Amino acid sequence: MIRESDSEHGGAAAVTTHHLTKRYGTDTALDAVDLLVPEGAVYVLIGGNGAGKSTTLKVLMNLERPSSGTAEVFGLDTALRGPEVRAQVGYVPERHNPGYGWMTGGRLLQHIASYYPSWDDAYADHLIRGLDLRASRRVGSLSKGETRRLQLVMALAHRPPLLLLDEPTDGLDPVVRKRTLALLAEHLADTPTTVLITTHHLYEVESLADHVGVLSNGRLIAQMPRDDLQRTVRRYRIEVPDGWEAPSDLRIASERRSRTGREIQCIVVGEERAITERLTLAGARVHEVSSLALEDAALAFLPAEATR
Amino acid sequence: MLVNLDLHDARPLYLQIMDAVRRALVVGTLRAEDPLPSVRELAAELLINPRTVSQAYRELEREGVIYVRRGLGTFVAPDIHPDRHERRALARGVARRALVEARNNGLGVEELVTMIREVAAAEGGEPSPLPTPAIRDEEQ
Repeated sequence: MIRESDSEHGGAAAVTTHHLTKRYGTDTALDAVDLLVPEGAVYVLIGGNGAGKSTTLKVLMNLERPSSGTAEVFGLDTALRGPEVRAQVGYVPERHNPGYGWMTGGRLLQHIASYYPSWDDAYADHLIRGLDLRASRRVGSLSKGETRRLQLVMALAHRPPLLLLDEPTDGLDPVVRKRTLALLAEHLADTPTTVLITTHHLYEVESLADHVGVLSNGRLIAQMPRDDLQRTVRRYRIEVPDGWEAPSDLRIASERRSRTGREIQCIVVGEERAITERLTLAGARVHEVSSLALEDAALAFLPAEATR
Repeated sequence: MLVNLDLHDARPLYLQIMDAVRRALVVGTLRAEDPLPSVRELAAELLINPRTVSQAYRELEREGVIYVRRGLGTFVAPDIHPDRHERRALARGVARRALVEARNNGLGVEELVTMIREVAAAEGGEPSPLPTPAIRDEEQ
């Protein structure tokens, strides 16, 4: 796996997993995952459907037990200290169904509040207004997006030190999504919080992310700070002799060739200077090097068949 | 001061914020002793982690560009001379981006410099340094 130098952050980890593996029968949902979310980070875990994102969060919530390996939240083993862990977490689950369909949103929030000594009523009201929720409506009659917003209030209003948000922007329109991210930014400024977000659309939460992890088929194939990710993936436009083949030691993520075959555009993982040298040495002329949006940079780590 | 971030730019976000502050100083939209937006405000406006804003402010404070008054907020240093150091830093950034663009188009330094003068002359003599052209330098 490609990973950062952990020493750079020095500080404690909010979430760690050690060779975390989860099997369902013969199906491997998580395969020896070593996740590391530094305290205070906004860590975005991306991957396609069935990559293992939701399973990871469920293990952290002790809603699923690891088949092998361990998971820790603030140093507490999630399988042994489930209730203590959950008390410190605000969780938005994958499913848009908080249950209690017959209650009003406001009543459900009161019910949830009774579980958390740190629940902040004034802040809950502030969030309800900010997210444009009508607390008088029955939970069962809420749309997908409204349910999401209610779940966000439930997760944030007790100001937990860790937020686990499973596709938090799913079902939100662009305006509400922006408002949600702004509320999250304010939340982070007011309350020291670590955030672990899963999504299959990195661009939806891209601005907030400062760490990125890439899951593919249950394996964590990359995790690093945002700046490292953007620095180590570049798009190269090169001119090559007829019949040129790329050096096999280069990690080339995607390649486009011109009709004549003399011009190639490819995305390569590695430090720009070293890659340029390597390409030049192999007989290519590097014409243009450009940076990528965070999502494209992250996708470069996925195996080729997954991105097509 | 208004900050625009370019998420496609590989430059770290905190560096982009630092540049935006420097640009505002050179252009004159930010002056000595002016207050800066709070970390919370700027983070919510830009939809970024407040820690990124703090990092930018910390670096600017270390460079003596801004200072913190406890309980009151962050302000531009009283003795700021944007005409010297900041102007050079900004010009260096613009030059670097122009060079990259030239290289990507297969052009050399001399060709670029000559053409800048020619275009400037054709567009009406000495280009005015303030303020419009200096602000819009975020394009790739």
